[in-house]
Amino acid sequence: MRGLFKWSSKWWPGVIPLVIFWAIAAWTSTEPLEADLAQRSAAALKDTVLNKTRISVAGRDVTLGADAFSEDGRQGAVASVETVPGVRLVNDETRLVPEAKPFVWSAERDVVRVTLSGSSPLPASKSRLMEAARANLGGVEVVDRMDLSRGAPPRFDNAALLLLDQIGKLKEGKITVSDTQVSLSGMARELGGREAIAAALKNLPEGFSVAANEVKAPPYVFQAYKDPVAVTLTLTGNVPDNNVHAALVAAAGRKFFSEKVVDSLKPSIGAPSGFASAVVPALGALSRLSTGTLVVSDREVKLSGDALYEAAASQIRAGLGKDFPQGWQFKPEISVKPPAAPVDATVCQQLFTDLLGKARIRFEPGKADIVADSAGLLDRLIETALRCPTANIEIAGHTDSDGDEAANQTLSEKRAQAVADHLVRAGLPANRFSAVGYGSTQPIAGNDTDQGKAQNRRIDFVVK
Amino acid sequence: MAYLTTFYWGWLLGSVLLGFAMGWISVVQHGDGIPRKWRWWVAALVAALVAAAVARVVPGRFGYWLDLGLIMFGLYLCGCTIGSWLRDWVVSRTAPPA
Repeated sequence: MRGLFKWSSKWWPGVIPLVIFWAIAAWTSTEPLEADLAQRSAAALKDTVLNKTRISVAGRDVTLGADAFSEDGRQGAVASVETVPGVRLVNDETRLVPEAKPFVWSAERDVVRVTLSGSSPLPASKSRLMEAARANLGGVEVVDRMDLSRGAPPRFDNAALLLLDQIGKLKEGKITVSDTQVSLSGMARELGGREAIAAALKNLPEGFSVAANEVKAPPYVFQAYKDPVAVTLTLTGNVPDNNVHAALVAAAGRKFFSEKVVDSLKPSIGAPSGFASAVVPALGALSRLSTGTLVVSDREVKLSGDALYEAAASQIRAGLGKDFPQGWQFKPEISVKPPAAPVDATVCQQLFTDLLGKARIRFEPGKADIVADSAGLLDRLIETALRCPTANIEIAGHTDSDGDEAANQTLSEKRAQAVADHLVRAGLPANRFSAVGYGSTQPIAGNDTDQGKAQNRRIDFVVK
Repeated sequence: MAYLTTFYWGWLLGSVLLGFAMGWISVVQHGDGIPRKWRWWVAALVAALVAAAVARVVPGRFGYWLDLGLIMFGLYLCGCTIGSWLRDWVVSRTAPPA
């Protein structure tokens, strides 16, 4: 032992190359060591749920910065890095993710995108919500503005996923979850969407409730377009049910005697009350226009187009709104078609004959009251009469042979007079018209069939 | 420590061999060693460095370099000890009896 002590005093020269060794070892090994420890530390944290993880290594000391979602998780992360072989010290710069109170999450849809914002409990939840939004909204841009926060209510993910399903049913709007209270606003994409959302909200996870559901239904739209070139009436939009559908198409067929009805209506729920009562007279007004469009949006009726003469325009502007159920609004945009060129008496007669060949002026059964369906035909007859201002016209009433001859004579006279009065009310001079009743004395078809009788019940215009 | 040993065994082996060689030479070397007073200072310095390493008071890369240096120095001393003993054993076997 004494020898060892003596020898050791002569060991110092070796320290000089040892120091050189040490310097070289330190020079070459530090960075690889640090890289290795950083990689091992990251691997140790692989199964720990953290956000914004930062690992930096100086020598064998690891500085760990991260946002943890629970105190246990935070301590566990630090302990995991401490147990990595080779790590000397862990500088703990971790912190807990801030707690959101109230915990608010929202999904907002506008014309081009859906924005998810507010708080999300975990990175996994966040990515799941983004994936679900992209899957539900196929093609629509999804913007992630969600932060991570603690304090989410239980079953938050399930509630948010259900609500993301509903955002697909909105045209635009916002769904907000504040703790367990769900609020919705905006407009449904389709008719029935609002009801579908309300039904889906009944499946919200336990504990969640709807604080406000202000989703509006889209406007209930019905449109009719009278095209004078194609001689068509095109019906598009919604009708409440098949019965109303059939009734509207039948009414259109009666009122538009020369146009082909193109029916593109589809039954949808959500019609405003009194829909049929408003649309039928509005179609009658459209039938009086030479060209026009009828747009019914919820309880607003907008009729635009050209009337055949000034008095018709005034009557439509003033009269149609009165026929509507309470709460309905009428917005007329009626102009007057430029008058057609005057024609001589022969052409005028031909025009009357053509018109009355296509349709007949209709009356209430057994009465001299003109039915509203004939308004379009009468307007065209008036327009024709205006084109031959010098011609005198006999308005001839005829009946079938049913019933008493004297009564038929009287009825034919009254009906002819009713038509003459209508023309005078339209602004034509009374002295141009003579109303004559012929009873059943001038049949144009046999009175032995219903069809023949119907042809015999007529008003003729005879230019004198 | 085990991690460092596996990571840098080459440098550590070099330190042992260097120490072994120095220990081998030191038995038969003539001349004075370092004075006794100095030895205590060196021992105190080494003890202070060991204490600093154990207490982990030197941060970051300097801490690592201190650890590495002390390990290499410790292995150097081990090598010296083994070398000196072996050389002494060899010398005493081959020396003619007095």
